[in-house]
Amino acid sequence: MGISVFKQPKLKNPELLCGWPGIGNIGLIAMDTLKAVLMAEEFAEIEPWDFFYPEKVSIRGGLLKELQFPTNKFYYQRLEKKDLIFFIGEKQPSEGERMYATGEKAYRIANLVLDVAEKFGCHRVYTSGASVSAVHHTMRPRVVSVLSSDRLAEEVARYPNTVLVSEIAGRENEGVITGLNGLLLAVAKKRGLESICLMGEIPDWLSGSPFPYPKASKSVLEVFADILGIRIDPTVLDEMTAQIEGIVEKIYEEFPPEIRERYDQRKFVAQAEPAGITEQDARWIKEHINGFFKKGGEQGGKRST
Amino acid sequence: MEKGLLEVYQTPQLQNPSLLVGWQTHDVGKLTSRIVHFLTEQLGGQRIAEVKPSGFFPLGGAAFKGNFIQVPESQFWACEKSNLLIFTSDEPKYEWHKFLTAVLDFAEHYCQAKELYTISARHSLSAHTTPRRILAVYNQPAFQKLLQDYELEDMTWEGRPAISSYLLWAAERRDIPGVSLWPEIPFYLAAGEDPSATKLTLSFLDRRFNLGLDLGELDLEITNQYERIAQLRRVNAEIDRYINRLETGLSLNEQEQVKLAREVYELLKERG
Repeated sequence: MGISVFKQPKLKNPELLCGWPGIGNIGLIAMDTLKAVLMAEEFAEIEPWDFFYPEKVSIRGGLLKELQFPTNKFYYQRLEKKDLIFFIGEKQPSEGERMYATGEKAYRIANLVLDVAEKFGCHRVYTSGASVSAVHHTMRPRVVSVLSSDRLAEEVARYPNTVLVSEIAGRENEGVITGLNGLLLAVAKKRGLESICLMGEIPDWLSGSPFPYPKASKSVLEVFADILGIRIDPTVLDEMTAQIEGIVEKIYEEFPPEIRERYDQRKFVAQAEPAGITEQDARWIKEHINGFFKKGGEQGGKRST
Repeated sequence: MEKGLLEVYQTPQLQNPSLLVGWQTHDVGKLTSRIVHFLTEQLGGQRIAEVKPSGFFPLGGAAFKGNFIQVPESQFWACEKSNLLIFTSDEPKYEWHKFLTAVLDFAEHYCQAKELYTISARHSLSAHTTPRRILAVYNQPAFQKLLQDYELEDMTWEGRPAISSYLLWAAERRDIPGVSLWPEIPFYLAAGEDPSATKLTLSFLDRRFNLGLDLGELDLEITNQYERIAQLRRVNAEIDRYINRLETGLSLNEQEQVKLAREVYELLKERG
């Protein structure tokens, strides 16, 4: 079990940016897009077979050509302001049927990722994910942050469109960042590394949807552009966002008028306030959500990937 | 070799044997079980080792099938005179890679196995009167060339891998040449047995390893099975029509397939 390093890039105090699948794939899409925009170069990977089952075999003319596993790759890029290492995991190693990593394998893969990061002198780790919030889908998603220590709060306060998780009303000052986007931060903190999670807001009623939520990924991406001092094409992710928005709007139009009215209050209250739908409304949406998505999928045409 | 995963009962006297692997899970037409049983019986196979189930199979209780408790088994057999190492197992539920590594470690480091053969039958939509085929998947072009005179047919396929493909891939990473054999069984014989496919597969192994097998009992079973089905066709026009369509290369819809499979299964079960 191990890591294959194809290349030994010379990096100066790089920062590690990690993305795994999660709610709306917000973090994964943000990190993967940033990696692509910066044309980061692949240099290592975690050997997948101890963590994952192969997903596809290709046999041609009697010869076994390829056995495909979910990939877990490292990339690097040197920028003017700082050097970066990206880690993109296509899947979280889970035990049983769970979507998110749990148990011993999760802990092992988190440590392997950090082994590579520390080998190259990394001192700070970012992950990204989703913040399930009582927000309206038409609002610009904010980025909610969780930090390894107080020392980072001042810096994060300067990030655009970003709030500390403690600033969100309705939270009881505690919660869980599920899966590896959370566990990695905990393991990093244990190793004495700075760690920051930047989570894009997703409306609560969409958190169980089978679609990505690129609108929140874009918010996260904008924060990273600011951190890194780079300019990112403002239209990046627009096509995917428009496609998903079309589906979400169709579902929203099917809300009963009284629920829609209460839900729309979210547009007019300060985003820090929990507002809008009642518990009953939430239950109604939850009970009908699968039907919505079925219709949305049929009416909305191609499913975005 | 990771310690503690295997229990070795005895040291076999084998010299660079071929490793033959048969999976008992999803055993279409019971072909794998039948072949392993046939070979170990006729070649005087001895149980020499097992992969312990802990960590690979759910051990929170015991499954049963029919009236019988099912025990997950993963056994190595040595047929010393024929220089054949046989591994037969249920598919592990967990940790495939670790399990397959243990199998290959034992075969390679303990027995110095030189080649790998896996056997898993697959359904076909052809009639039982059509000659059987064995589809093959190789992990090295040179090995494919070596076996080109054995009338195996090259498979082309893409999708979720079977454990045999995973094992083949793992063997290739150790530079062990291997082939997965996929004998075809008409779908309406899959729930019972198909002596024709069993015989074809055994004939291949017999020829490849010079085993000197006596396949006479299978000839009798084939004749018997053909006669029973022919009798069914004489008395059941619908079944005759279904099989006739398959014989002429036409297909059956799902309902017809189920009806044919059920009738043939009941027939062979009753009299078998």
